[in-house]
Amino acid sequence: MPDKFESTMQFSSEELQEEKVKEVIKKVFEALEEKGYSPVNQLVGYLLSGDPAYITSHNNARTIISTLERDEIVKVLLNSYLRKKTASE
Amino acid sequence: MERIVICGGKKLYGKIGIEGAKNAVLPIIAATLLAKGSSQIHEVPYLADVNTLCDMLSSIGAKVERKKKSLIINTNLVHTSEATSENAGDMRASFLLMGPLLARYGQVKMLLPGGCAIGSRPVDLHLKGFAALGAEIILEHGSISAAAKQLTGARIYLDFPSVGATENLMMAASMAEGQTILENVAEEPEIVDLANFLNNMGARVSGAGTNIIKIMGVSELIGCNHVVIPDRIEAGTYMAAAAAAGGEVLIENVIIDHLKPVVAKLREAGVVVEEEADGVRIKSDGVLLPVDIKTMPYPGFPTDMQAQMMALLMRAKGTSVISETVFENRFMHVDELKKMGANITTEGHTAIVQQAERITGAVVKATDLRAGAALVIAGLMADGTTEIKEIKHIRRGYDNMVEKLSSVGADIRIVETNDDAGAERTA
Repeated sequence: MPDKFESTMQFSSEELQEEKVKEVIKKVFEALEEKGYSPVNQLVGYLLSGDPAYITSHNNARTIISTLERDEIVKVLLNSYLRKKTASE
Repeated sequence: MERIVICGGKKLYGKIGIEGAKNAVLPIIAATLLAKGSSQIHEVPYLADVNTLCDMLSSIGAKVERKKKSLIINTNLVHTSEATSENAGDMRASFLLMGPLLARYGQVKMLLPGGCAIGSRPVDLHLKGFAALGAEIILEHGSISAAAKQLTGARIYLDFPSVGATENLMMAASMAEGQTILENVAEEPEIVDLANFLNNMGARVSGAGTNIIKIMGVSELIGCNHVVIPDRIEAGTYMAAAAAAGGEVLIENVIIDHLKPVVAKLREAGVVVEEEADGVRIKSDGVLLPVDIKTMPYPGFPTDMQAQMMALLMRAKGTSVISETVFENRFMHVDELKKMGANITTEGHTAIVQQAERITGAVVKATDLRAGAALVIAGLMADGTTEIKEIKHIRRGYDNMVEKLSSVGADIRIVETNDDAGAERTA
């Protein structure tokens, strides 16, 4: 059986961006959780206000999230939600 | 009496680390009164205001322990909700104890608060908010009492986005019954940090950092660990100092998003500001352009940076106009800067700053915290020696300022004097 990771694959820039956003959210989520915060509440606060104070400096999470624009994060979250919703209907 | 003595004209090179924010840590210390058990607060600066508030907590039975830059506070043994110690008159932040004491103990008695003499900052908004939450308020003989068997959530619109009122009401509403919606609130980063702390203790606060905060009251909060955000005003002060003196200084441990208006104005003045991962690098040849500044509530230009920028602009080539819209009495540093050669005229809430022919050292007096910082910046630029009196004001908000500036090459020291005559007589 051929290993799909051995084959040449093509990614669109949107897919790459989505992967980057997911990776950042995962790291930030873990850092917030490790420091005892509710990751969802903190991320919602950050997305609404834009204030990096919502994100812990633990494991460099504050710096990591600042590499993304907030609208990019919201776009990826919405797209992901809508895709799942469409798939389940 | 101690004075700060500065021999000006030295360029600054090196790194300066920023402490936890004074204006974040004070409400957080007050908020520990809401919780059972111990709270650990990290990155707590060594400041007179922090000591004063901790003393007030101790005086009502809290156990406060300092371990380097951390505070461990246990409020289980608080035996009274009357915070009427003499310290209250020294510091405005003492009034932040009112919300938590009222919420947790159902009653509170406080003295009217003090603080920097930068204008009238009435506590009406706090009291109107407490009343809206169901408290009965009595003002008599210079003290304020409030009582409520159970605070009840309410929709409260602040007439002005007051930072203190927002914080006090957030803390009170955290343990009120039902939902509170606070509208037209302050959006400062320190409000977000307080919300983080409250939520980490089990509160349900959302929307901090926007102009509407929603709070669903809970019956109990438990102590937690918290790291205080970096002090944006301390960072801004050293950025202005490096820009004024010239040289190259890396300011470490800053959240650059909190400094956007300061960065914008420094760049407009011709200063090179480079953003780095956890800091900001200032490069300046000391040659500055004039800029106009209007102070506004966050995210506008902070009133707490107005005096420092005025000092910097004394040497800008041209005319700068500074409008103070937040406080009505915040140009007290102007007369002191004039003693050093500043060419500044004020009219109402506006100061017109023209390039000084020469800035020279003088004996000056810090009239408030940020005015003191402005005089330090002016002293770094001045020819000759500047002596700053009343440095207790500077100590209220700057941890190790002299040591930090000295470490990057400033000729600055603290000198003990026996009388008002000056430092040199006792040398």
